[in-house]
Amino acid sequence: MSGDGGKLSGAAMASIVVLRVAIGWHFLYEGLVKLTKPGWSAAGYLMQSRGAFSGLFRWLAADASRLARVNSLTMWSLTLVGLGLVLGCFTRFASAAGILLILLFYLCNPPFVGYFYSIPMEGSYLVVNKNLVELTALAVVLTTRSGRVAGLDRIIHRLVGRRSRGE
Amino acid sequence: MSDEDKGGTGAPESPHGRRLDRRDVLLALSTAPALALFGYAWSRQRGYERKLTESVHPARVVPPDLSVINVGLLGVGAQGQVLLDSMLRIPGLRFRAVCDIWKEYNQKRAVNTLRKYKFEVKGYEDHREMLDKEKELDAVVVATPDFWHARHAVDCLEAGKHVYCEKEMSNTIEGARSMVLAARETGRLLQIGHQRRSHPRYLHCHDKLLGEAKLLGRIVTVNGQWNRAVAPDIGFPERYAIPADRLRQYGFKSMEQFRNWRWYKGLGGGPIVDLGSHQIDIYNWFLGAKPSHVMASGGLDYHDPKTHEWYDTVMAVYEYETPAGSARAYYQTQTTNGSQGYFENFMGDEGTLVISESEANYPGFLYRDPNAPAWDEWVRKGYVSAPRVQEARPAGQEMTLDVRESVSPDLHRVPVVLRDPYHQPHLENFFDSIRGTATLHCPAAVGYETAATVLKVNEAVEAKERLSFAPADFEVGA
Repeated sequence: MSGDGGKLSGAAMASIVVLRVAIGWHFLYEGLVKLTKPGWSAAGYLMQSRGAFSGLFRWLAADASRLARVNSLTMWSLTLVGLGLVLGCFTRFASAAGILLILLFYLCNPPFVGYFYSIPMEGSYLVVNKNLVELTALAVVLTTRSGRVAGLDRIIHRLVGRRSRGE
Repeated sequence: MSDEDKGGTGAPESPHGRRLDRRDVLLALSTAPALALFGYAWSRQRGYERKLTESVHPARVVPPDLSVINVGLLGVGAQGQVLLDSMLRIPGLRFRAVCDIWKEYNQKRAVNTLRKYKFEVKGYEDHREMLDKEKELDAVVVATPDFWHARHAVDCLEAGKHVYCEKEMSNTIEGARSMVLAARETGRLLQIGHQRRSHPRYLHCHDKLLGEAKLLGRIVTVNGQWNRAVAPDIGFPERYAIPADRLRQYGFKSMEQFRNWRWYKGLGGGPIVDLGSHQIDIYNWFLGAKPSHVMASGGLDYHDPKTHEWYDTVMAVYEYETPAGSARAYYQTQTTNGSQGYFENFMGDEGTLVISESEANYPGFLYRDPNAPAWDEWVRKGYVSAPRVQEARPAGQEMTLDVRESVSPDLHRVPVVLRDPYHQPHLENFFDSIRGTATLHCPAAVGYETAATVLKVNEAVEAKERLSFAPADFEVGA
């Protein structure tokens, strides 16, 4: 941070761009792995849901055609959000969609006191897990418009702005 | 970053009104190399995974002169979709037609899927119209509700098509008989969808472990189960509901019944037929015999009788006279608790085999009885894995066994993994048989024996007594 009135220094903004690309890379890979893995399904993750929303998540997995829609929505959302973040294309929309996705993942399997899951996690968590950390990191990306600094949004924003003024 | 880029939020403050310059383009594309790097890493990872898979499970060699088989799909609901997903992975198939009475949903989905794969397919509601118009079809894959199987399979066979028909072959023994006769009279192939018959793990166990190595010794008892947790009735999108007159025309009273036909008498056979049929088929196959008697207890103990007619809980005991001697086989299916899922457990005087179709649960465990001859030869040949080394317990934590308890047997694994969808090998066997390069693993006559074995359970539940099988029960005759 530059410290002058909340403005970001060049180094701070560059860090946020790197953060955005790293999160995008993660989303993109998660999406593509699911898209290319025959028979991938969110059923296991949904069915072991705990917490206040467990009824909703289990309901999503209970019907085959509903589950199929959830599966394709998950795969494609992850992939497209990942692409958007890596390229800085519609960055704010991609960030918001990413936050919503991770929030759903978090609420489905929240690491609250006394909850345990059959799908093993690679670390130990209490309330805050890597999903929540990634979610808050995306909130930073969402609020700093990094796509207009380094990303396709820089062009999109200017083209749209010029057209709206009839230039 | 320039001053311009240091806005309140770090974004350019006033980007409008300035022409795009080279710097804008460079910054806009500055993260694109990350995508190229991702693509490179992704392709390396895919290559690594492909190599790993091929080393464990060599890719099927596709001959360059593979003849193309024209395929029609008759019934593309949930099970039809499962079969289609498998068939899309099999080379040498050309899909030409899809027939399903749920034009608004199932038929549309399957046609759209196949068109995405560049197949020119036509949709039909009536199977006779499909058979009349699609003269070039070589084979039809039937995955309609059980009570339609006989009519559909016989019509297709008589139209000169080879048929793959989902199990249960029919919900009535008369229906199953008509299918065997039609296959015999037309000379066309009829494969019944007991897909475990083509599963490489089951084939390995049947041919190598039980046949050649006789690892279990004499099998005296068998037990198996398919436990399934309570599930809500299958619903449907209201806007795609089939009109009532069309439902009636095809034998359904309502959309609810159409979607949940497996629970209705006259349409399906209930869980013992739906689930048990797969596994009881394996009892007959692995024991090399058909049962002599069956007794069973069952009932509609849990579900709503307004929407469920068949028994939700069934427990059956078969008696066999196998070539090696008497054997008894227990089977249970219930739909109120999914604990321990599904498996078959064959217990001989020299060992035990627990097997299932699943790669996750019970993918082939073998226990050698401590008094049985060593299995070292079969471990060396790769038929079974080396036994699991028992962990030594730390001093002070040794357990004391009562003198009457048996010593724990060695645990081995069946080293065969199926990486394809479960139905793919059975479908491949069907299409290879059409080409003349294989023989059917579950021809109509075998499917008939299984249908006769399984349908009798519901009779035994109703009769509340031990029923016997006559040898003629398993034969179709002339």
